[in-house]
Amino acid sequence: MTTGTLRLRKGSSILSENGSLIGLVVLLVALTLLSGDFLTVTNLLNVGVQAAVTAILAFGQTFVIITSGIDLSVGAVAALSAVVLAWTATSHGMAWPLATGFALIVGIACGLVNGALITYGKLPPFIATLAMQGIARGLGLVISQGSPIALPDSVSHVGDTIGGYLPVPAIVMLLMGVITAVVLNRTYAGRAMYAIGGNEEAARLSGIKVTRQKLITYALAGGFAAVAGIVLAGRLASAQPQAALGYELDAIAAVVIGGASLSGGKGKALGTFVGALILAVLRNGLNLLSVSAFWQQVVIGIVIALAVLLDTLRRRQAS
Amino acid sequence: MTEEILRVRGLRKRFPGVVALDGVDFDLRPGEVHVLLGENGAGKSTLIKMLSGAYHPDEGTIFMDGRETAIRTAEDAQRHGIATIYQEFNLVPQLTVAENLMLGRPPRRFGFVDKKAMYRHAQELLDRVGVDADPRAPLASLGIARMQMVEIAKALGLDARVLIMDEPTAVLTTSEVQRLFTIVRQLKEQGVAIVFITHHLEEIAQIGDRVTVLRDGASVAEVPADTPEEELVRLMVGRSIDQQYPRERSTQGAPLLEVRGLTRKGVFEDVSFEVRAGEVVGLAGLVGAGRTEVVRAIFGADPYDSGEVLVDGLPLPRGKVTAALEAGLGLVPEDRKGQGLVLGANIRENLGLVTMRRATHGGFVDRAGQAKAAAEVAEQLGVRMSGLGQEVRTLSGGNQQKIVIGKWLLAEANVLILDEPTRGIDVGAKVEIYQLINSLTAAGRAVLMISSDLPEVLGMSDRVLVMARGRLAGELSAAEATQDSVMALAVGELEETA
Amino acid sequence: MQFTKPAAIAAAGAILALGLTACNNGSSSSAGGSGGGGGDIKIGLSVSTLNNPYFVQLRQGAEAEAKKEGVKITTTDAQNDASQQVNQVQNFASQSMKAIIINPVDSSAAAPAVKAADRSKIPVIAADRGVTGATVTQTVASDNVAGGKLAAQELGKALGGKGKVAVLQGTAGTSAARDRQQGFAEGIKAFPGIQVVAQQPADFDRTKGLDVMTNMLQAHSDITGVFAANDEMALGAIKALGAKAGKQVKVVGFDGSPDGLKAVQAGTLSADVAQQPVLLGQLAVQSAVKAAKGGKIEATVAVPVKVATKDNVAQFTNGA
Repeated sequence: MTTGTLRLRKGSSILSENGSLIGLVVLLVALTLLSGDFLTVTNLLNVGVQAAVTAILAFGQTFVIITSGIDLSVGAVAALSAVVLAWTATSHGMAWPLATGFALIVGIACGLVNGALITYGKLPPFIATLAMQGIARGLGLVISQGSPIALPDSVSHVGDTIGGYLPVPAIVMLLMGVITAVVLNRTYAGRAMYAIGGNEEAARLSGIKVTRQKLITYALAGGFAAVAGIVLAGRLASAQPQAALGYELDAIAAVVIGGASLSGGKGKALGTFVGALILAVLRNGLNLLSVSAFWQQVVIGIVIALAVLLDTLRRRQAS
Repeated sequence: MTEEILRVRGLRKRFPGVVALDGVDFDLRPGEVHVLLGENGAGKSTLIKMLSGAYHPDEGTIFMDGRETAIRTAEDAQRHGIATIYQEFNLVPQLTVAENLMLGRPPRRFGFVDKKAMYRHAQELLDRVGVDADPRAPLASLGIARMQMVEIAKALGLDARVLIMDEPTAVLTTSEVQRLFTIVRQLKEQGVAIVFITHHLEEIAQIGDRVTVLRDGASVAEVPADTPEEELVRLMVGRSIDQQYPRERSTQGAPLLEVRGLTRKGVFEDVSFEVRAGEVVGLAGLVGAGRTEVVRAIFGADPYDSGEVLVDGLPLPRGKVTAALEAGLGLVPEDRKGQGLVLGANIRENLGLVTMRRATHGGFVDRAGQAKAAAEVAEQLGVRMSGLGQEVRTLSGGNQQKIVIGKWLLAEANVLILDEPTRGIDVGAKVEIYQLINSLTAAGRAVLMISSDLPEVLGMSDRVLVMARGRLAGELSAAEATQDSVMALAVGELEETA
Repeated sequence: MQFTKPAAIAAAGAILALGLTACNNGSSSSAGGSGGGGGDIKIGLSVSTLNNPYFVQLRQGAEAEAKKEGVKITTTDAQNDASQQVNQVQNFASQSMKAIIINPVDSSAAAPAVKAADRSKIPVIAADRGVTGATVTQTVASDNVAGGKLAAQELGKALGGKGKVAVLQGTAGTSAARDRQQGFAEGIKAFPGIQVVAQQPADFDRTKGLDVMTNMLQAHSDITGVFAANDEMALGAIKALGAKAGKQVKVVGFDGSPDGLKAVQAGTLSADVAQQPVLLGQLAVQSAVKAAKGGKIEATVAVPVKVATKDNVAQFTNGA
């Protein structure tokens, strides 16, 4: 596989750049030793599918966190977009490309409202997006009347596999990851995010239109949330208004595990991807090992703390 | 001769990739002011951080009162009576003056903070340094000079026997510096040993007793404080600097920047002036006279109520940084770290910040082109760095300032506004920045320079504008401008109205 | 009057929001009232959350019954917040409700509110979950332990008394998760040939049900039976099992939700232990009205759980 050759060639530099990757490798080795069922192609594909929704949300969250903001609404926006997709496709009989586009627009619109509240309304991101969390969750319930809406078959392909083997959610995840990396590294919007998060005033005095860039940032996060919602609905073949409850916290954890700083200016697509994989691998492993319900939460908490600790230690050593 | 209170022998400290200290000897007697002199990066900060417990030496010994002592933590330093006043204050602006003075050790009664005792004690400390401030006022209301005094009062509250002052005069005006010196002399008489760091050479003879010169992490000389300035500079940079202010006049052209009747109520009023191509205009005045506010308004960073700004004869819309930038204005702000740089980003990123928009095609930034341009300008500016990927946080002040100026060079700004461009920068780097100003004006560009360093204003400006209380108090040609004439204008109006 | 601009916008927004919610309340949460022999009896219903189809059905049953009896009913949504629920019940007491139906967010956290109502001599009916630490006039609930047992019996029957079984548990620490698990564990003992090889939490959530089932299959590919402690998780598990659901692997769910019953009809869900939320709501209102008129009522009413299988599922779908 491509990741394998990549790791051979650049392995050491990638490892030293990203402490959480070491964490992931440790986790993979440990689980391979503990469970014979872990290191199989089907199981690893499963992990990829199970990581998809969190990872896509986390990619969107990465943009926001790099600008030193936070978006607590991504889980609710994902659920709302999923409901809108199912509702337009069933109740209004829209063709699936149209319905999907509509769901994306709803996500982006939620993000723009977040951005407007934060820039023009001068609300702290925490509060603005908390408000949006309630609004989006509520609107999802209003539209769906509180019950799940089944997806037409044409749309639920997003949750399927290609050729019975390649899972679409994992492919969408990789695609969104590549988009995230390109946006962050190559585009003006991405570079502006780093500058704004690193020092907003210096960015402003260097001619970066901070308001506009923040609107773009939150709109991206909203759009990514919509994609996550569509994938989620596709996997279940139904849109649930109460889906993705609390996923925003998983997304934030994935971003921070990936080496981003909540105070802004730092963060990478690869790091976030690794962070999301750590969470998914862990949940998968705990199931394989039949760890009891109560202990699972303890273990997840410990691993999150360890992963971030490892990264901080490595940075401190480097500087 | 009095017994030494502090003696340092052969201190070494290595950071990954850098030897910060390479054998420093230093000693200090009670009742003396011992000046530490050296360029940025010479090791002054590392040395005082070891004395205050922030770093630990790899090699070498610290003796207190003749006994070998390990200073492992800030608490250790405090116990030994060592107090440090850093450039970046260790104060909390939101708390009151008294709370700051008693930070971490407020007087307590029955487990509650005894406010009465706190205010009484705070007042005593403030009286000792002779600063007129209400202990109940929030610190943020004080202004930077009085904050500095509060920081000193706080150190006194710790009953310090050794007081380390890291560039205490950098942000003070001339009269405030004199106040500070009076306090330092009182402390001397009380037997406090003072380590004094400054970049203002003229202060050394005024306040110092001895000078230890650091260069490249080693102590290279210990000389009396009345050593001639040229000799001190030679020791510091390892070569002689012919001229501290190497201004070369250029031929002047048409006005590039015109400001007419600029007013923001309560801040500045009716400010009018022009800056011509090839000209350096100095903007002098006391801290708080409204100089920074005016240039920020010109640049579009802050709004104004009336008046207009013209660049190349074309009016500039209000409050739009992007418009100012496109018209060819550039601003190097007063607060280098807070407003000029993205500290966590590398040199390449910071240099490319302004030109990024121009290097963007179809949403994508031409990063290779940006890197190439950054490499060229870094080379031209002589930035001392390990590479373009180095974080600007880790650069010395002078090199950081070069990066801020560099981003405007890349943007080919026609009118560069420099707000305190050499504050906290060592002699060598200062001269480099002056030479840069020369090359800008030689190329037909214009420079507007705010500075509180009078010799610098006089030495570098073709024309000096003086502001007092938000108004232009006067304009002096290079020939007319002297320390006295500038100060008379800067404080004149104050005395009239007072 | 002089408003600053932002203040005016904020005020306008608030008024608009209030107006919207008010309309909403008027249309959906108050039912009946004008006709019938109930006179001006008012009943308050505090639901733990309307973010769950089950409780939405409970409310529907209650409001339909109120209309039939000709009494006014006011429904509030505690949004799974126990302290909010206490406030709501206290408000009912001061609104001179003749009876209060509480569907507790948390059994013990509801006690203070119930005590306050007791002091005002207002009868309180606990619906779906009991109240501990205070006396209610009546508890109307389906029996989760009995339901768990029933599920075990159905799964045992479907598997012919032997096989390997996985359990999807509810959110750790909730009473429903605990009771259903306990009932199932007791019930499955009757089948010595059946071995429970894995039990993992999936938090009553469909997505998690799908993920956890996928992972369990990885470790135990020879599973022949699944018990999911609610329908959402069961539907997730069915998605994970794909074509095997209902054939090589028998799945038993819990709740009798519309989606669950559809799966029973399709044959992917072998049996569904159906609670009857609509009936539960109806019974609670009947008792409340009786108590409000001063009549005597039983301390507990057990709402029967029923097993829906392919043979009898039609009667469930018609009924709801």
